[in-house]
Amino acid sequence: MIGIEDCLTEAMSIPGALGAILVDHTSGMAVAGKGIADPGRAAAGLSEAYRATLDGIAMASQETGFRIEDVIVTTGSAYHLVRPMEMMFDGPLLLCVRLDVERSNLALARRRLRTITDELVAS
Amino acid sequence: MAAPTLDAVLTGLAQDEATGSLRVGKEGTVYYVRGRVSYVECAATPGVEELLGASGRISANGMRHARQEAGPGGDGGALLVDRGVLSRGELEFCVLSATLDAAFFLLTSRTVRTRFRESDAHWLGVHWFFDVPGLLRECARRRARLERAWPSAELDARPVTPLRRIPGTHALLTRLQWELLLSADSTATPVELARRLGRPAYSTLLAVRELAAAGLVVTGETAALPKRTPKPSAQQPTPPREPGRSTSELPQVNGDATDVNLLLRLRDALEAL
Repeated sequence: MIGIEDCLTEAMSIPGALGAILVDHTSGMAVAGKGIADPGRAAAGLSEAYRATLDGIAMASQETGFRIEDVIVTTGSAYHLVRPMEMMFDGPLLLCVRLDVERSNLALARRRLRTITDELVAS
Repeated sequence: MAAPTLDAVLTGLAQDEATGSLRVGKEGTVYYVRGRVSYVECAATPGVEELLGASGRISANGMRHARQEAGPGGDGGALLVDRGVLSRGELEFCVLSATLDAAFFLLTSRTVRTRFRESDAHWLGVHWFFDVPGLLRECARRRARLERAWPSAELDARPVTPLRRIPGTHALLTRLQWELLLSADSTATPVELARRLGRPAYSTLLAVRELAAAGLVVTGETAALPKRTPKPSAQQPTPPREPGRSTSELPQVNGDATDVNLLLRLRDALEAL
């Protein structure tokens, strides 16, 4: 079982990880970050991106009450992985990792991210 | 000499690297460990105990026992984690969430009656730290976030009343908004609903403002609207609308003589201008 700081350390140990940040989606607040230049801005941006994804998929999807497993955005130089964790009374809490596109393996990174989030909210 | 503001008292304790608890009137308590804030309680917002209770993880009785067992100066949080009530990550997030929620409401308090108790600690122990400037900054950021969602405080302290009919054909809701609409009974305010649902008060306030922005709850504006539209007269009920017909708010054309009279009066009035 791990805490919030360990969870970021674990995320940064994913091969190719450049930065990791935990974002409280409801308030758009940066809970903690590693390797992120401006956590406040990053948190606000990632939170908005996740909200837009949620709304867009909700409109496009036939299923009601769907859940997002993760969001993957590929830019020229990086992968941005966003994994939501449902907390018991609020949230979700988003674990966001930026990975070097040349040095990372997307499938492996997704699996590692899932393991980390399962350990953080394990019970 | 004027009494120092709450912000000044909080900053002063941080500079003195104080350890203990600061009671703010009857509204709440700020806990310090070596100048950093470890927990904040506010009478208006649900604390870790209520959040955990409402999530069904632990009964009120179980919580009381844990609290007694931890004792003064103990680490009740670690005890709860050991018992498997929640994980360490969840405990940290719970403390963080409850603290920021309480701080948001407590730090706007106008009360300047504060009392510091040296080395008093919260029964949950210490699971997250906030520096005072960071805490004040986050409260300001949250206030700005509320303003962006819906730039009026008129709904913050008023009972939440969902619209009986929504203006469009579809509505997109988050989970919290759904729960709010189900629980809203036109008597409970957002903060009261938060307590009832076991949700942070700030999240609830934000959700209500978002609902207002989406036009799904009664606001001052929508509440005033029905007065402007004339009531259909009792002896001449308006025919039911056929499905598929336009539902615009334009008056129906029915060739009634009174309408012609109204038009004549209107024309006269306009000519007289």
